[in-house]
Amino acid sequence: MTIREAADALRRRKVSAVELTGAALGRIERGNPTLRAFLTVTAEEALAQARQADSELAAGKDRGPLHGIPMASKDLFYTRGVLTTGGSPIYKNFVPDRDAEAVARLKAAGAVMLGKLNLHELAYGITSANPHFGAVANPWNPKHSPGGSSGGSGAAVAAGMVYAALGTDTGGSIRIPASFCGTVGLKPTYGRVSRRGVMPLSWSLDHVGPLTASVRDAALVLNAIAGHDPADRSSSRHPVVDFMPEESDVRGLRVGFPENFFFERLDVEVELAVRGAIARLESLGAAIKPIKLPDMAALNAVGRIILLCEASAVMEPHLANRSQFGPDVLALLDQGRLLPATDYIHAQRLRRQMVHQFSQVWSDVDCLVTPTTPNTAPRIGEQTVKLGGRDEDVRLATTRLVRSLNLLGLPALSLPCGLSAAGLPVGLQIVAPAFEEALVLRVGAALEDGGIGIPRCPF
Amino acid sequence: MKDWSAIAKAAGLDIPAKEAARHSQPLDGLEEAFRPLVKSLTPEMEPAAVFDAVEEQA
Repeated sequence: MTIREAADALRRRKVSAVELTGAALGRIERGNPTLRAFLTVTAEEALAQARQADSELAAGKDRGPLHGIPMASKDLFYTRGVLTTGGSPIYKNFVPDRDAEAVARLKAAGAVMLGKLNLHELAYGITSANPHFGAVANPWNPKHSPGGSSGGSGAAVAAGMVYAALGTDTGGSIRIPASFCGTVGLKPTYGRVSRRGVMPLSWSLDHVGPLTASVRDAALVLNAIAGHDPADRSSSRHPVVDFMPEESDVRGLRVGFPENFFFERLDVEVELAVRGAIARLESLGAAIKPIKLPDMAALNAVGRIILLCEASAVMEPHLANRSQFGPDVLALLDQGRLLPATDYIHAQRLRRQMVHQFSQVWSDVDCLVTPTTPNTAPRIGEQTVKLGGRDEDVRLATTRLVRSLNLLGLPALSLPCGLSAAGLPVGLQIVAPAFEEALVLRVGAALEDGGIGIPRCPF
Repeated sequence: MKDWSAIAKAAGLDIPAKEAARHSQPLDGLEEAFRPLVKSLTPEMEPAAVFDAVEEQA
């Protein structure tokens, strides 16, 4: 059931928020020993919130489409009175005295929060094989990774434990788990959603967004969490619109098909599924336009420099005790400390230049469609994947098609567009100009309405 | 190629030499991609970082 279906059932009194919450808690109890998606389950608080939601609806107080809907947040979001670990022993006893702004907005919209979701340690990686709290498993095949860093968010949504989950995306960390777990994942424009109360990884690259079961559900969550926050210096004053794509007409829309980079070194099944979805868009009336993009590998290099430097600056106070980090995260933190300050400055100068260059793309096309990841979910523990006939580091391969959008700050939506022969989801990515989330959601909804998608996860 | 172990030592970073040596491959690869880009920068190109004297007082 999607949020929209659940919301409709609530208002028809076919189900109560307490029943929805009880069912979700039951799924967590049964599935979490296998998936390790939740680190903390706040069952009593959730049931109390659900009872309040039912009382309010009965009294005629309707907070909107998220009222009474079970959700959860990545354990990187501050939650008042609830343990918030960041997936790290550094914060194993940290209990915030306030909610992150995005969590507070979901609560104000009536959402029932079920707890905190597992993640890659400190959100600094893409496997969610957390050495301290256990590896999150992919509901489509528990031997495979759910992706990361918001791996618990992707797994929980795919397994039907929650209707939506909050994630963060610094170099693909919403879109990668969405791709691997067969959910929708939206990285909004930088500054669209407040980062206040979210443990930082990289101040200038961090984004907050939802993972959901459908494109329209992502729009509903974005409607609740988007908008200016004066207490977040990166928060934009750009006007907020209704993101819900009531219609999904793409006739005449100029959809860019990248001639370079995005379709190189792909798993064959990924390429076939994404090309099939693009053909569907064309049959729906979109104009598919081949386009040569700027040097995306250069964008990735610049993004990596910024991330390495900023993440190391964030975590430097804790590096005196090296034993509290997993080996992969520690390696990245060390690498960031070895880069000179001038490289960071140069990277931020190049970023400005590249954002300007990339903006020219939008004079030729309205949006871009690409694969989200070049591969389907690797097995847990796999270090390399074979793509285009050569072995590639799993982390670099998996972030290859998504990282540049964090540097550019552009909205990007991942949605499932097929299953591999092994039964693993394939994700495609829709990218649009800054603050055009409504457009990526409209194109995504057109694909969903046009039959692009995957069956419900059998987990 | 930079000697990352020597850089770590000179900077006074407590990175064990063995671990610093393991960073050579990823950092050398990144250097190779990044260094040519820097050559394209001109002095008037400012970083994408903003300081607003009024905002910062808020």
